[in-house]
Amino acid sequence: MNLNKHLARLLPLVWLACAGGAGAADEVRIGAPLALTGSLADAGKKQQAAFALWQERVNAQGGIQVGARKLPVKLVSYDYQSDERRAQQLAEKLITQDKVDLMTAPFGSGHAKVVAGVAERYGMPIVAVSSSEPVHNQGYRNLFGTLAPSVGLVDAMIGHFKQNLPALKRVAVLGRDDVFPRIMATTLEKQAPAAGLEVVYSALYPVGSMDHSAALTSLKAARPDWIYVTGYTQDLILVRKQMADLGISAPVVTMITGPAYREFVDGLGPLAEGVTSATWWHWSQNNTGDDVFGSTAAFTEAIRARTGGDPDYVHASSAAALIVLQKAIEAAGSTDRDAVRAQLAKMDVQTFYGRIKFRADGMNDNRELPIIQVQSGKPVVLYPAAMAQGRLQAIGQ
Amino acid sequence: MSTSAKLPARRGLRPAHFVFLAWALLLAAMPFLADNYFVRLATFVAMYSALALSWNFIGGYTGYPSFATAAFVGLGSYTGAVLQNAGAPMVVAWVCATLFTGLVAALIGAAILRMKGHYFAVGSITLIEVLHQVASLWSSVTGGGEGLNVPILAGGPDFAGRVFLYAMLVTMLLVWAVTLWVDRSKLGFGLRCISQNEDAADMVGIQVNRYKTAAFTLSALFCGTVGAIYASWVSYISPSDAFSVLLTLKVPAMAMLGGLGTVYGPIVGAAAFVLMEETIWAHFLDYNQAILGVVIVLLILFLPGGFLKIDYRRLWRRPLPVRPAASVTAGGEKGDKAEKAAAPLATFAREGRS
Repeated sequence: MNLNKHLARLLPLVWLACAGGAGAADEVRIGAPLALTGSLADAGKKQQAAFALWQERVNAQGGIQVGARKLPVKLVSYDYQSDERRAQQLAEKLITQDKVDLMTAPFGSGHAKVVAGVAERYGMPIVAVSSSEPVHNQGYRNLFGTLAPSVGLVDAMIGHFKQNLPALKRVAVLGRDDVFPRIMATTLEKQAPAAGLEVVYSALYPVGSMDHSAALTSLKAARPDWIYVTGYTQDLILVRKQMADLGISAPVVTMITGPAYREFVDGLGPLAEGVTSATWWHWSQNNTGDDVFGSTAAFTEAIRARTGGDPDYVHASSAAALIVLQKAIEAAGSTDRDAVRAQLAKMDVQTFYGRIKFRADGMNDNRELPIIQVQSGKPVVLYPAAMAQGRLQAIGQ
Repeated sequence: MSTSAKLPARRGLRPAHFVFLAWALLLAAMPFLADNYFVRLATFVAMYSALALSWNFIGGYTGYPSFATAAFVGLGSYTGAVLQNAGAPMVVAWVCATLFTGLVAALIGAAILRMKGHYFAVGSITLIEVLHQVASLWSSVTGGGEGLNVPILAGGPDFAGRVFLYAMLVTMLLVWAVTLWVDRSKLGFGLRCISQNEDAADMVGIQVNRYKTAAFTLSALFCGTVGAIYASWVSYISPSDAFSVLLTLKVPAMAMLGGLGTVYGPIVGAAAFVLMEETIWAHFLDYNQAILGVVIVLLILFLPGGFLKIDYRRLWRRPLPVRPAASVTAGGEKGDKAEKAAAPLATFAREGRS
């Protein structure tokens, strides 16, 4: 008795998926668990928009070159509702039932890591779109990520600020106690002394904090001339508003990665002025590459046409994840997991997103990361020099 | 009518036992019948059954609305993960996590079980937040917000799928056996009395604090096991997912769906809930949590006894009752039955008088 078949009938969703899964050999199937509802929905929708755009472009060209044949691409995606347990369940479903050839990991370090754990057991190459160092510290062989290590972001920023404002001496760090914001805070703390900066205040606030006034009051007493805050957009908006309420300012105010998001600049209005950040990608940079988009400007235009807003690094990193999968399949000449993994490991390509070359732990070893500052209501690139649009302006001067 | 009339003789073999064992066997046979997606689904069914059965000790038998499930699952996860990282073999870590969670629950229970009703509910939900903060802030042990890696089980997906399915199944069977024992023992009787009227139970000589603490500890013990197994299964835990409030709401909903204070209600509820989540809810992505809320409200209003308390024979005779609500409010034997299920305390008061 084929119980599998009976069970599948009991579960209409599965049944539909199985029906859609026939003829897998005639297309390249890429699995994508996405957070379309729940706490990570904003980022999940950006990921979805970038994925859909890439799929359209690739299929318009006839698909991906796999050996001698050009095969269309099918993205199989499910909403995992920002729920860790559903993310695993759907990852397993993508691999065993939808029989995807390769996978992408969802936005958010924690969920990316859990999904990567499922993929690792199957030896399935998986490219993450927003994974920081702690996601890559488990020795998984199949996990790659398009974001560069946080330490690169932090070093570039310290170097640039010290060069432009040599008087910078005292730095205060306030970080969100969560995977990525935390590593950005602790990395700065670690790297600052080497550049001659004194860390005069350092604290982590828990996830879900609704009031930062106590921390900000002690921070003010430390008289920093560089205030460095990490968190997600809502946290950063709150911190910036409370800083204004408490009359706290400093020549340099950095919020990781606030100004990279349009929501941050729109939400704060004039208070966003002068806030700096490092980011992995900015739409005003001018990369060109051999991919379906061709250049940063073309990608930016396409996202604007699709979503009505400026793209941020989540859009770009998501599209880049699929571009590297495409490049790896083309180089391998097949969708065989081992062959694709081998190609990913030795990948070195120029794309609209910038250079992508994976380190041994799977992170993207790109060092040319932009530093941005909100000037006259718009994020302006300060660094690297090749794409600079303005110079660092100290706040209140 | 006396209170003992509510405790039918449940000794001996009942058909329900065979249905349950057949169900457990079906879950156990999943690796040989279907692919790994179904194996994972079966693992979740076993996991939620174990959690719902555990919650049933305090929420069902004792009638205390505990929302501490996620606190104990999280505690078990972290204990298991820390021990495994310290070099303990996987199964040893699971057992130690179980015992540790039980111990913590006994200590905390002795304190917070002096609160009743809403106060207890709020106290129990606070426990999740407190442990969440401890896990976030004690970074030297728990890894803080970065989370904690657990060594991934070698041997490939099929092997891992089986190991964790059987681990969850064994846990489910253990809780089931303990539930059977409690259901028939003096402890179960005492807990039902507490559920009906705690003061009266105290007066007739039941040591209510000791009984409640026992129920609370039992409700935590296997949550610890489940948490530890889960941590090994996922290979990575983080504070926000280990102490998930959603989990704490789902588990009581499952027990209510099946039938509170019964041996099989939580199992029926957990299975129905997981399958529902997998099929129907996937089609209502934007509203699924709102639907969960509506389902809970509807359950409390119209099906307070859960699936197991539906009188299927009556449904069969009158498939389309004209005014289904009438039977609840009307007097007579049928009305009594419905009221009894809805408010055990009221039943006790009335029965006590008669």
